[in-house]
Amino acid sequence: MSYGDFAKLLEAYGMPDSVWDIRPRQLAAGEDRTHGQCANGVWAHGTTVIAVKFDKGVLNVADRRATAGNAIFYEEAEKILKLDDETLIAIAGSYAAAFEAVRFLQHSFKYYARSQLQELSLEGKLSEVSRVLSRSLPGALQGIGGFLPIVSAFDREKHEGRIFFYDVMGARFESREFGAAGSGAERIRGAFEYIVRTKGPFHTMTLEAALRETLLLLEIAASLDTATGGIHHHLPLAKTVTAEGVADVPEELLRSLQKTLLKE
Amino acid sequence: MAFTPYDWQQTLRQKADYVEDRLREGSPIVGLSCHEGILLVTVRRAHQQKIFEIYDRLAFAGLGNQSDLETIRQLAVDFAHAEGFARSPQDVSIQRVVGVALSPAMKRSFSDPLRLPLVVRGLFAQLGDTPDSDLFYLLNYDGEFSLTYRFGVAAGTERAREMMERVLVEFTKKVPKRDAALEKALEAWAVGRHEASSALEWRAVLSEALKTGMVEAAFLERVSRRERRFRFLSDQELKPFLPR
Repeated sequence: MSYGDFAKLLEAYGMPDSVWDIRPRQLAAGEDRTHGQCANGVWAHGTTVIAVKFDKGVLNVADRRATAGNAIFYEEAEKILKLDDETLIAIAGSYAAAFEAVRFLQHSFKYYARSQLQELSLEGKLSEVSRVLSRSLPGALQGIGGFLPIVSAFDREKHEGRIFFYDVMGARFESREFGAAGSGAERIRGAFEYIVRTKGPFHTMTLEAALRETLLLLEIAASLDTATGGIHHHLPLAKTVTAEGVADVPEELLRSLQKTLLKE
Repeated sequence: MAFTPYDWQQTLRQKADYVEDRLREGSPIVGLSCHEGILLVTVRRAHQQKIFEIYDRLAFAGLGNQSDLETIRQLAVDFAHAEGFARSPQDVSIQRVVGVALSPAMKRSFSDPLRLPLVVRGLFAQLGDTPDSDLFYLLNYDGEFSLTYRFGVAAGTERAREMMERVLVEFTKKVPKRDAALEKALEAWAVGRHEASSALEWRAVLSEALKTGMVEAAFLERVSRRERRFRFLSDQELKPFLPR
């Protein structure tokens, strides 16, 4: 009996967590896989993912570049994923670990709701993300499986969008206005503060205004970080979570803002 | 004392009689394909849920003991999610859930003379991209199952099932819209319930049943932005179709 715990179910089916978790492994002498390490011991590979509040909920924006060392690996990566109909996750770091974790979380939330005949609470979902992160810690410490997520959700009780970010061990923090992760995010952190202090908090902005600011931030990140794709060649990914659930930002709106920003 | 083949046969018969007796009074289940998706309809006693979401495109409804429905439901949900994660959601099919995960286990349980039989008859539905690819599986307490298209029914007796099928065969030759399908599903339910009711006409059967029970109707939505396509129809959505 798993009582809605998906990890336990996988164990019962002979699929222990090694299926989705990168297990600790002894590194060979001289082997070093820590090339993706960033400042302050935070494991964040090349990318920039941004979450900001707006007047109806939370907006997530991400560039589309995936890198492997110095090489551009892929220019159409999707770094904002739907955990369920009311929760988004934006990921920075090891793709393999992050995608397996997201797949696990998607199934875990659905499994809980369907088996227990009640929805998993927002608190329950956030704890599950922590648990997955703490389990992938051995991989993170070896430099092969670390990732950092930003979780955005619409809180039905408080009737507002909420943003949560995590450290690599799974500690959870809530952000009032914005969150960002990835190598480009560190370089633009001060710009978020500048926007809030000069233009007002993100949560009072319309979707269009918030989108304009975040696309510009992404473009600045791209100019300071080679591993961030920016808005020149590929349209960034943008999704929202509001009282109506998760939705894609209309492509026309993205294109028109891209055009205006590139002209400026 | 020796356990002879005769005893074994006798046990099976007694078990079957025991289950059939308990299913006889059960509230029928109607599953119906329509343009917009699949409808599953029954009338239940106030707090006993009879229709359940199993996986992204799978739903289950059943009659029988609530605890046995739970057993089947949990097995199906567990199998579907473990498989959906290990392989992919597209690889979780009604055929695998019913034919591979449930049927053999139910058969084993039913043929074991020392085990209490499951009192359950279930209807599984799988939503396809078009009404033609929707599937319905009827699963019996002894593990036997059968596949139908366009609609599926589960009832307490063989006769009730046949009567319900008669209502639906003609109707489903053309794929209906959801509203028409809902109305027909309620009619089919009442026809199946007729045996256990004193009322003569199907609307009267339904009215009588609604004095102590309530309509439970779930919908698997064919075109949806949502990840989870299963939802229950609200009282407001049902109201226009119920007798006043």
